[in-house]
Amino acid sequence: MRIRGNPESFRGSPWFDSKQNKCEINKRSNLSQQALLKISNLAKSYGSVVALRDANFSVQPGEIHALLGANGAGKSTLVKILTGVIGGDLGLIELNGKQVAFSSPDNARKSGVAPVFQDPALIPDISIQRNLYLTGTDKDRFLSEISSMGLSVDLNQLASEIELPILRMIDLARALSHDPELLILDEITAALPIDMAEKVISIMGDHKARGKSVIFISHRLAEIEEICDRATVLRDGINVDTFDATHGSEERIVAAMLGDKNVVAAHNRNRANKTTTAEFMRVESLVGGKHLKDVSFTIKKGEVLGVAALEGQGQDLLFEILAGESQPSGGKLFVNGQEVTFHHPSDAIAAGISYVPGDRKTALMPQRSIRENLALTRYRGMRRWGKINFTEEAAKVDGAVESLEIDTRAKSQVKRLSGGNQQKVTIGRWVTTGFDLLLCFDPTRGIDVGTKAQIYDLIRKFSDEGKSVLLFTSELREIQLSCDRAIVLYEGKVQADLPFEKCDEASLLSAAHGIVG
Amino acid sequence: MNLIKIKRQSWNIGIVIIALGLGTWQINRLPVFGSYEARTILLGILPIALLSMGQAIIIIGGGINLAIGAESVLINCLAARFMAGKSFGIGVALTIALLLLSTCLGAITGLIISRSKIADIIVTLATSFILIGFAMYIQPSPGGGMNLSLAHLVSGKGTAFLPPLITLILPLLIIWIPLYRSRAGIAMYAIGSNKDSAFLSGVNVDLTRIKLYAVGGLFAGLSGIVLTAITLSGSPFASISNTATLNSVAGAVLGGVALSGGVGGLTGPALAALILYFIPTILLNYGIDPAYSQIITGALTIIVVLIGGLIRNRGKKK
Repeated sequence: MRIRGNPESFRGSPWFDSKQNKCEINKRSNLSQQALLKISNLAKSYGSVVALRDANFSVQPGEIHALLGANGAGKSTLVKILTGVIGGDLGLIELNGKQVAFSSPDNARKSGVAPVFQDPALIPDISIQRNLYLTGTDKDRFLSEISSMGLSVDLNQLASEIELPILRMIDLARALSHDPELLILDEITAALPIDMAEKVISIMGDHKARGKSVIFISHRLAEIEEICDRATVLRDGINVDTFDATHGSEERIVAAMLGDKNVVAAHNRNRANKTTTAEFMRVESLVGGKHLKDVSFTIKKGEVLGVAALEGQGQDLLFEILAGESQPSGGKLFVNGQEVTFHHPSDAIAAGISYVPGDRKTALMPQRSIRENLALTRYRGMRRWGKINFTEEAAKVDGAVESLEIDTRAKSQVKRLSGGNQQKVTIGRWVTTGFDLLLCFDPTRGIDVGTKAQIYDLIRKFSDEGKSVLLFTSELREIQLSCDRAIVLYEGKVQADLPFEKCDEASLLSAAHGIVG
Repeated sequence: MNLIKIKRQSWNIGIVIIALGLGTWQINRLPVFGSYEARTILLGILPIALLSMGQAIIIIGGGINLAIGAESVLINCLAARFMAGKSFGIGVALTIALLLLSTCLGAITGLIISRSKIADIIVTLATSFILIGFAMYIQPSPGGGMNLSLAHLVSGKGTAFLPPLITLILPLLIIWIPLYRSRAGIAMYAIGSNKDSAFLSGVNVDLTRIKLYAVGGLFAGLSGIVLTAITLSGSPFASISNTATLNSVAGAVLGGVALSGGVGGLTGPALAALILYFIPTILLNYGIDPAYSQIITGALTIIVVLIGGLIRNRGKKK
C-alpha cells in the first residue's frame, strides 16, 4: 500500500501501532515509490580477499530492511561502504535517485545516513557532552531522545564510565538526534538485555512511522520476523535472496545464508543417558562486587549448565571469579570436593577450568597466526627454556582446526578472520590443551546461525566426552537447545534452578525478572 | 555532578598540594622571599613548563614528540643569532616569524607521521637529529643575544616577577582554553582516546594529528624564545635538547597526562614543572649531590603516576 499525505498522521493510528508490531498492514512496504537507497553491483576486495562481489538491493522510504548473512558474507563491508568508512571498488550507490560516494562517516551523516555499531563510536575518555559536540549533535534533541527511551544520562560523565548497553543506547540516541533518512543498526541488539532490545525494536517502529528507513542487521531471527518489512541475505559477497520478512521465514533465511551447506538440524540432543551425578565443581555462598550476594550451585561432570540473567546481574564477575581473574569477597569454591582458592587464572587452569571470555579481542593475539593463537595455552606445561616441538604442535593445531571447521583462508593473522571464526579459535585453543570445565561467556554474540550451531554442537560434544561446560548466553532460547540444566541469577542470588525441559524462554524470562522461584 | 568534577580534578589538586608543599619548604629555607626570588623561581620553570605543555598536547592526542627539545633549541639558536644587536621592533617581528616557523616544523612532523604511517616515536627521534644539526649549523658555539627591552618584556627584570608569570599563563589562556573548548580540541582528545571511534564520529584523524603537532611546535617555539630571553644567548647542545625532551615527558606525565592518550590537560604539566624545579633546588640547598636529586625526581615521578593510575582505575567501570 502507498502511504499518502503526512506520515506523521499515521502515528498512533490503530494499524500503525509500532509498540506491538503485530499488524500485518504495517509490514507492507510501499514498493511503488522511488527507492531511498539503491545499491547496484557493489564490490570491494582487500588485497586478494574478496569481501563483496556483487551486492544489489534497495531500501524504500519508510521501510525496515534486514540485512542478513553468515559471518564473512560481506555485511560489515557493505555497511562500511554505506557509512563512508571505506570506499567501494566498483558499483553504484544512489540515495534518493542521486549517485553518491561517501568520503567519510561525517559526510554520510550529513547526507542523512547514520550508523550505530555494535561497538559504540563514542570517545571513551571525554564526556558525553563533548562527544555530542564532536558530532555536532544538538544537546536538547539528544536529551529528549534519551528521555523518550526511559533513560537518564549525566552529560558530564565520561563515556568510559558508562556501561556498554547504556552506551549503545546513547549512541543510538545521538544518531536519532540527527533524524537520519536512513538509520543503519549493525548488530546493536547483540548482548543487549531484553528490555533494551525491545526498546530498540520499538524505536525502529517509531522511526519507520515517521516515514524514515532502517537497515537492521541482527542474528536474532525472531527480531527480524517481528519488525522487518523485507530481508536481504548476503552470501560470499553476493545478495542471494530478498523477500518479505514474515513469521515463518526463518527456514528460508537459514537456507539462503548457508547455501549448499547442510542446514544444521535442530539441537534435538539425547540427554537421556546423562546418569552421572558426580559433582565437578561446587560454588557456595559466593559474594563479590556490587551484584553477587549469595550464589550457590553445583556443576556435575559432563553437564552443560546454562546461566541466564538480565544485564548487570553480576554474571560477568561470576565467570571472572571462577576463572581466577577476580577474587570474591566471600564464599567458597570446591573442585572435585576439594576447596580451592584461585589467585590467578593459572590456578584455575591448573584445576582444569578454562575461560572463553565474551570479548574475543581480550582472548586473542590479533596480529599472530591461527597456529600461534591455538597453541598459546599449550606452553603452560612446558619447561621454560625448552624447545617447542613444532611437529607435535602442528598436529594438534591441525586437529583443532579440522574439528572446529575454522576457515583458514586468512590464517596468518587472526584479526583478519571473521567474528565467528575468531570465536572458534578462542574455544579451539582449549581443545588443543584440554580442560575439565569450560566457562563460555556469551560465545555466540554476533555470530551467524550456522556458526552458532557448530559452537553448540561442539559444546554438546565436550559434554559427551564427560567434560563440563558453564554457559552464559544473552539469547535465552539457546539455553534449552544446548544446556542440561540452567540457573537464573536475579538480585545477586540464584533465583531458579531448572532442568532443560523447563528452560523455555518464558520461564527463564520470568525468573530473570524475579517473578518465580 | 560537582563530585564528579572534583574527582576529575583530583590529579591537579594533588599536584598543587605537592608543589605548594615543596614551595613552602624552599621558601622557608631562603633568607628572604620577595619578588626577586619569585622571579627566579618563575624563570627556572618557564622554559620547561612551556615545553611540558607542548608535549602534553601531543601525548593527549595519542602521539609523542622526541624532537620537542630540539625544536626549542633550534628556535633558541635562531633567535640568539638573528636578534643579537637588533631593535625592539625587529625582535618582535622575528619572534613572530620564529613562532610561525616552529609551528610549521611541528605541522611538518605531523604530516610526515600521518602520511608515512611510521610510529611517532621513530619519526620524531629522526627529526630531533635533523633539528639539532640545523641548530649547530646556525650557532656553532654558544653566543648571540637579544634586544634587552624585548627580553625584559618576556622574562622581567630585577624584581619584576609579573612578566614571566604572564609569559607562563598567557599561552594557557589564549591558546589552550579556546582550543580545549573548540571542536578541534575535542578532536585531539578523540584521536588520542580512540582513533577508530574518532573517525566514526567524523574526525579527520590525519588533519587533527597535524594540528596537534603544530600546536606542540608553537609551545616549543615559545619555550625557545623564553630561553633566549632568559640566557640572552643560544646554546646548540644536543644534551640540552635531550634533557629538555625527557623533562617535558616527565612534566606531562607527572601533570596527569596519560601516555595512552586522551586524558589530561595543560595546567597539570605547568604545575609539574614547578615540582621538577623544586626537588633539585631543595636538595642542592641541603648540599646533596645532584645525582641523588635525579634519583629522587625519577622515583617521585613513578610514585605519583602509580598513585594516580590506581585512583583512575578505581573510578573506571568495567
